[in-house]
Amino acid sequence: MKKTLFNIIAGATCLLLVSCGAEKAKNLTEKRPVFASVLTADKQDKATALKSKINRPIKIAVLGLENNPFWIPVKGGTLKAAETLKKFNCQVDWIVPAGDSHGASVFGKGIENAVVQGYDAIATVAGDSGITNFINRAVDSGVPVATFNSETEKENKRLFFVGADLYKQGEVAGAEMHKLLKGSGEVAVITGFFSVEAHELRRKGFLDKLKKLAPKVKIVSEVENKDQANLAYRQTKDFLTAHPNLSAIYVTAGGPFGAAKAIEESGKAGVVKIISYDFVDETMAYVKKGVISGTIGQDPHAQGYDPAIRLYNYLAAGVVPKAGKLLTNSDFVTKDNIDKYWSKK
Amino acid sequence: MSDNHQDREANKTDLFKKKNFYQRPESSVLLCLVILIVLMGIFKTDTFLSVSNFFNMLKGMSSVGIMAIGMTLIIITAGIDLSVGSIMAVSTMATARLLAEGFHPVLALLGGFGIGVLLGVINGLIITKIKVNPFITTLGMLSMGRGLAYFLTIVATEKSVASNISIDNAFILFIGGAYLGPIPVQVIIMLVLVVISSFLLNYTVLGRQIYAVGSNEEAARLSGVNVTKVKVFVYATCGALCALAGLIEAGMLSTAATSAGMGIELDVIAAVVIGGASLMGGRGSIWGAILGAAIIAVIHNSFVQLRLPSYVQTITIGAVIILAVSLDQLRGKTK
Repeated sequence: MKKTLFNIIAGATCLLLVSCGAEKAKNLTEKRPVFASVLTADKQDKATALKSKINRPIKIAVLGLENNPFWIPVKGGTLKAAETLKKFNCQVDWIVPAGDSHGASVFGKGIENAVVQGYDAIATVAGDSGITNFINRAVDSGVPVATFNSETEKENKRLFFVGADLYKQGEVAGAEMHKLLKGSGEVAVITGFFSVEAHELRRKGFLDKLKKLAPKVKIVSEVENKDQANLAYRQTKDFLTAHPNLSAIYVTAGGPFGAAKAIEESGKAGVVKIISYDFVDETMAYVKKGVISGTIGQDPHAQGYDPAIRLYNYLAAGVVPKAGKLLTNSDFVTKDNIDKYWSKK
Repeated sequence: MSDNHQDREANKTDLFKKKNFYQRPESSVLLCLVILIVLMGIFKTDTFLSVSNFFNMLKGMSSVGIMAIGMTLIIITAGIDLSVGSIMAVSTMATARLLAEGFHPVLALLGGFGIGVLLGVINGLIITKIKVNPFITTLGMLSMGRGLAYFLTIVATEKSVASNISIDNAFILFIGGAYLGPIPVQVIIMLVLVVISSFLLNYTVLGRQIYAVGSNEEAARLSGVNVTKVKVFVYATCGALCALAGLIEAGMLSTAATSAGMGIELDVIAAVVIGGASLMGGRGSIWGAILGAAIIAVIHNSFVQLRLPSYVQTITIGAVIILAVSLDQLRGKTK
């Protein structure tokens, strides 16, 4: 008796969930921009909330991390979007999935939980290709998904991506390195994780560009620091003894200030150049001192803000973004222009 | 030698008999280390065998070495502590946060150490009183500690995202970044701790008790050893050493980083195991653990020197651990 009752309740629940999903799917347009189509920041329309054409509240989930200062402006952007969209009958929730990495195992579960909790749309980080199944399943169940910050090259049903063109960022770094080295020298590479696509794109873009512009430049070592400054510090110390003629270090992800500290301690500030990413305070302090030659931004505030607004516009007003990849600004900041981007707090 | 002394020596168990250095497991570890250094010296004479490289390696291994002291004590008691990285992070963040809030540096340091010891005590009590397996207990503490570390950076602030905290306290900068002559202060600290802990383990009653608990816990208990106190002591000591290692790292970077200690438990456990400690308990030495940490540091350094890919390094460390444990098993079987 108990078993039969349980089966009836379980079956009814499933039917209810399926019918809800079916209802959502009917509301969505099948239109999506071409996956790999690109629009740079200067050619995009500004992310502005439009008047809703539907008479129901909307709930959007933005999945991110909170384990290091990079995420502060990202979350700030999402919270600003939440504030903006409140008056449009739209709730935006910033959610940190359980787990402490960019990986599909963490964010995939986050996507599944958001679908189960009834969110109408999801914005998520897509650190590796394993996330595609989760994205596709969510979209098939009627929940549009946008990605931001990290994007996998594997085609999937996400509506759009907001973030930097990571390969192009790597190319920019390669071009800047070529200017710094004037055609020759020895370079070491510290990447975050070889398994994170975003870091790999930056690394490969850098190597490809540098090889093209300065074929005489030698890459003497490539290591991963797992986004940790203390590992970057130790690795840099090792580079300095192993390669006394080292000209530069390229750091693709977190913890570049560890490398900067090691260079400064060794008395080689300005002699061994460093190119890094992002505008976290520790990094910017070293840029201001000239220890880090330049750092490349990716407008994290826009990464938190734009996906929520554009997902709302898609649901509420049927606006399909004009391209699959909506790129954010990637400004190259040096000690000469740092005052525009950072003031010491 | 008197007859009484001879009788006492004959009655000692194998564990406590004075051993010829070459009979000790540390001798094979030292031999491996020497072979590695000689090989690297041949391949990279100019850069590997320099004084600065030597001290860089020592500096690079000092945090792992200090934490390996605590881990050795735990492993000898047949325990394990997977939360060393998280305890390192949370105690460093506690100190950094107290300093940032204007507390006296001594109070801030005591606060950080206190949290390290407290979390170690909690681990010890859960393992001894509630009888939860050490692996599970410390796995839980690994997650809790990391979360607490993030929490400490945002509690009672306007921030809602974990961020690093700058450190400019002279003492912390001294222990993390200063040199006495050519020798980094953190290396001196590590060596002093090795001497003290080695003495504790080999020449005190508590040290004997630690080995006894690991060799046969029930026999130790029946012999009057307070097993609970011994185990809580080793976990608390490890917590304190993790706090010290965290301060050293923070001093080195002038920053208490939210990512401090992530994944370090694997290097720490590897160092202890390579150094000859048995995960079954009852065997291990501080010097062995330090030699194990040195082997790992030499491998890390060598791969950069030899320009080998990073993944080869990780594969090699894993292979060295398996080799060390296999040799240890074989040594046990041939006795």
